Amino acid sequence: MADFILNWLVVSPAFAVPFALAALGLIVAEKSGVLFLGAEGFMLVGAMTGAGALITMGGHPLLALLVAMLAAALVSLIFAFLVVVLRVDQIIAGLSMVFLCQGLTSLISTQQGWTNRPISGLDPIALWPLSELPILGRLLFHQDAVFYATIAIFVAFHWISNRSLLGLRLKAVGENPDAADAAGVSVALYRFGAVLCGAALIGLAGAYLSVGVAKIWVDGMAGGRGWIAIALVIFARWQPWRALAGAVLFGCIEALIPRIAAAGIQVPQYFMLMTPYVATLAVMIWAALLRSPRTGQPAALGTPFVREERR
Amino acid sequence: MTRHILRLLAFGLALVGLSALPAMAAFKLKGEPKIALVIFTQKNDGGWSQALDEARQRLEASMGVKIPVVENVPENATAIRPAVELLISRGFNIIIGSAFGYSDTFKELSEKYPDVAFLNPAGITNGPNLQSFYGRTYESQYLCGMAAGAASKSGKLGFVAANPFGLVNWTVNAYALGAQQVNPNATVTVIYTGAWNDPVKERAAAEALIEQGIDVIGQHVDTPATQIVAQEKGVYATGHHRDLREFAPKATQCSSVWVWDRFLEPEIKKIIAGDWTPPAYGAFLSIKEGGTDIACCGDAVPKDAADKITAEREAIVNGKQVYAGPLADRDGKERVPAGQVLSDADLWKMDWFVKGVISQK
Repeated sequence: MADFILNWLVVSPAFAVPFALAALGLIVAEKSGVLFLGAEGFMLVGAMTGAGALITMGGHPLLALLVAMLAAALVSLIFAFLVVVLRVDQIIAGLSMVFLCQGLTSLISTQQGWTNRPISGLDPIALWPLSELPILGRLLFHQDAVFYATIAIFVAFHWISNRSLLGLRLKAVGENPDAADAAGVSVALYRFGAVLCGAALIGLAGAYLSVGVAKIWVDGMAGGRGWIAIALVIFARWQPWRALAGAVLFGCIEALIPRIAAAGIQVPQYFMLMTPYVATLAVMIWAALLRSPRTGQPAALGTPFVREERR
Repeated sequence: MTRHILRLLAFGLALVGLSALPAMAAFKLKGEPKIALVIFTQKNDGGWSQALDEARQRLEASMGVKIPVVENVPENATAIRPAVELLISRGFNIIIGSAFGYSDTFKELSEKYPDVAFLNPAGITNGPNLQSFYGRTYESQYLCGMAAGAASKSGKLGFVAANPFGLVNWTVNAYALGAQQVNPNATVTVIYTGAWNDPVKERAAAEALIEQGIDVIGQHVDTPATQIVAQEKGVYATGHHRDLREFAPKATQCSSVWVWDRFLEPEIKKIIAGDWTPPAYGAFLSIKEGGTDIACCGDAVPKDAADKITAEREAIVNGKQVYAGPLADRDGKERVPAGQVLSDADLWKMDWFVKGVISQK
């Protein structure tokens, strides 16, 4: 039993990381007031580019992840241009990005022959001497580079968001763009930057799916994880640490489902497939009962900014 | 893949339990035969669609004709209709589909164009110039189960499957029955991922099975992720759709493969000759009739076991039934009485497992 639990917990981070990174990417973008529904699409762009870069260029898998981040940021330029410059409806622009990315990744991967090709993937890095700790060593200090990077990114975002002028301005743009504009902050610039950074993180999440977890690219492999990340952000009320906790919860459950089946434990399988969503509902109900009705949603979320517009 | 196979259940119901319609006159083709294939995904998806496209290429070679292919025509009428009508306007008169989701639109088009012949794998509609067909995959998976049983040292086999319903469950049960031909104590632990195309879930399932000491894994999903994990971890696997040695040459010991050309070639020749009368409820193809077969065996299958598999395949071609009675489920309830064979209707609604299958409810 101890082995079962340890084996389960050791693989859980691999399932939690894509959710965590995608949710953080969404938070970064949405803190600036841009409603970002394209996560599923940008995960696909990242997943395909990561696998494709590894197949065509070889080299270190981390390089492929970097290329995937750049690719997602590049594609997000279209979205940023639509919603920041042209002020297109953010819901429609976000959804159409999903379809665009689905088609684009399918087209490119078919033409390049990247589908179903096994790739090498990431190796775990042991952080000696911490990796020698009993249980915790295997659990936290014998993971791959992206796991450590994810924690670093969360810490960095926490610091930027709460301790730096950059973070203050980002939040101001999302909460009250008129005030930010009056104070001399370029709303367009901050929103552009936030969308690009957010998309890069979501691209990393997708690339980790193909390069780090599945070690293969197939069409549409994000499998709805981008949508789950959107739910996570709402559930976390745009707070990164809560999003991380939610991602860990989802990751642990996703890793547990096949292990329960493989161990031959008789649980109705549809009940198991349902558990992540029941868990989300339960936590949301708990949060709703416990806290004030404030949602944490940026006040200007989804609203295009027009200078000196009357409302 | 998901939708067209999910709703195949209905195909099963349509196939059986109904009396045959009065015999219809044979279909007559007008003009020169021109064949085209319409695929609902990209053609090199590594699985279902690619198998169909490979059959097309073999048909081109053996029949000496050009068969163009149209890719990425989604399973809805607004996409299928213009694609097919464009082909018809260019003189194509034998149209091959690729999906369950084409059923209704093909039916409608076949009525609108009575001089064009329509063939649709995994479809559920039929007519005087429209025929649906699917394969008895339990036969080939039974043979793969034998290979798995022979390659396994522990006698503990695993199986990664998409969703628990008839046409998936029949492959799981056949796999266990095949394995037990070689090793009577073999067990098959099956994990349903709930998705056809999610390599993340498939990898997690395969890894979890291997952690439990399972050393050969079969599959009925759409990606080769299971095979790739098996090869990484130094265990064995068997494949579905196509010969998955392409993706995991060391691990793959046997694959259940589609060989549609073996069915399509005589069928198309009949259409051209003017003596094609599609059966009222479509074709449900055994190894003998084309449709499904095996690519076997890898080097972990001993020579005598490989010979036994070849002999068993021969027996199936000559009429041996995988689901012949007496056959009980794992709770001891009799499912097929002695001297009888499981009917097609019972196959399509199979929701029980044979002894040795370990699954969730």
